[in-house]
Amino acid sequence: MSFNDDLELNAYIDGELTSDRQAELLEAMRTDPDFARQACELSRLKAQLSLAYATPPRARWRNAAKVRPSWQQIAASIALVAFGLIGGWLLHAGIPAWSFGESRFVVLDPGGRGQAAAVAAENETRIVFHLTSPDQTTAGEMLEEVEAMLAAYQAEGRPLRVEVVSHGEGLNLLRERLSRHKARIHQLATRFSGLTFVACSNTIKRLAVEHGVEVKLIPDAEIIDSGINHVVKRQREGWSYIRV
Amino acid sequence: MKRLFSLIMAGIVGLMVWSGAALAVEGGYSKQKVVYHVNGDDPKQQTGALRNIQNHINAVGKENLDLRVVMHGHGVSLVLLPEALGKVKGFRHANADQQMQARIDGLKDQGVQFKVCNNTLVGRKTTVDDLYMVDQADIVPSGVAELAHLQSQGFTYIKP
Repeated sequence: MSFNDDLELNAYIDGELTSDRQAELLEAMRTDPDFARQACELSRLKAQLSLAYATPPRARWRNAAKVRPSWQQIAASIALVAFGLIGGWLLHAGIPAWSFGESRFVVLDPGGRGQAAAVAAENETRIVFHLTSPDQTTAGEMLEEVEAMLAAYQAEGRPLRVEVVSHGEGLNLLRERLSRHKARIHQLATRFSGLTFVACSNTIKRLAVEHGVEVKLIPDAEIIDSGINHVVKRQREGWSYIRV
Repeated sequence: MKRLFSLIMAGIVGLMVWSGAALAVEGGYSKQKVVYHVNGDDPKQQTGALRNIQNHINAVGKENLDLRVVMHGHGVSLVLLPEALGKVKGFRHANADQQMQARIDGLKDQGVQFKVCNNTLVGRKTTVDDLYMVDQADIVPSGVAELAHLQSQGFTYIKP
């Protein structure tokens, strides 16, 4: 089934789909990060639009027209409008400055592995690789790039944290039975303390429910609840994102 | 009480008009910094990516865009000249035929920068002479590091 139809996605956002179809869309979102992102973006747009075009109640004004306003009222109105204008401007101009401008981040837990994320060191580079491709050659190329980068940073004494999130079909890389890179992963994870491999537990559950597959992960893999949530969280925390 | 309410409404309306105006000023779109990530060698997908970029420019306006394309691994095939395919190592495709060259030229004319990963060039025994219109300034030490760096500089990441 395909959900590439924008109309249908819009219908979903507007709550106009049948519950069956909604369930299918939700399932598709769970498995397809691009689609989920698209849906998220659309609903955000919708919320912004409804906020911008919310209509003020009009009935009051019809009544108000009969009453002649006093000068105090007029003065107060002007003051309030001015307040609104200034407030709006400050809000509008201020938010980006303090929410996105800083390069230091307080992140959630200090262990530094898996779901962890310590307070980032001043100059630490942090990259999350989002692996969704089942292809082991592609995954191998990613491992080469990761290794080259970690080695280069280590040689220069610069801190680098890399997290590989395997999700959907990308989970193959961390599956005992399907991974062609078990030894390589073990060697890399041992050599670089800043490197972590995490597996999406939603994917594992889905494989169990839909295909009756009991997934066994390689020992170097850690488990997180949702691959999508995790990469979103990482990007919020200021990590760079690379899709593989 | 009614008066107070109408006064408050006036304030709220003022606020709304202002934020509406602010949205309208930003209009189409405000300035954007975007990096497109290309690491696959399927010519159809690459053509699609370049089309995405053109549509992006059409929507936002070239004066509002700082747009980079970062190629590494198989993605370098986008600018690899067909005649170089026999000479270089590890590439399955060389997609910089005349049509692709025209698309690249068209985007460059609108300010798009094409960046090539040096690790890939070294690993695949490829030089700038094998590539279409790439000079030293377009080469970055590592494609992945460049993607990370640009994002830390506020670029939005898009993988077509």
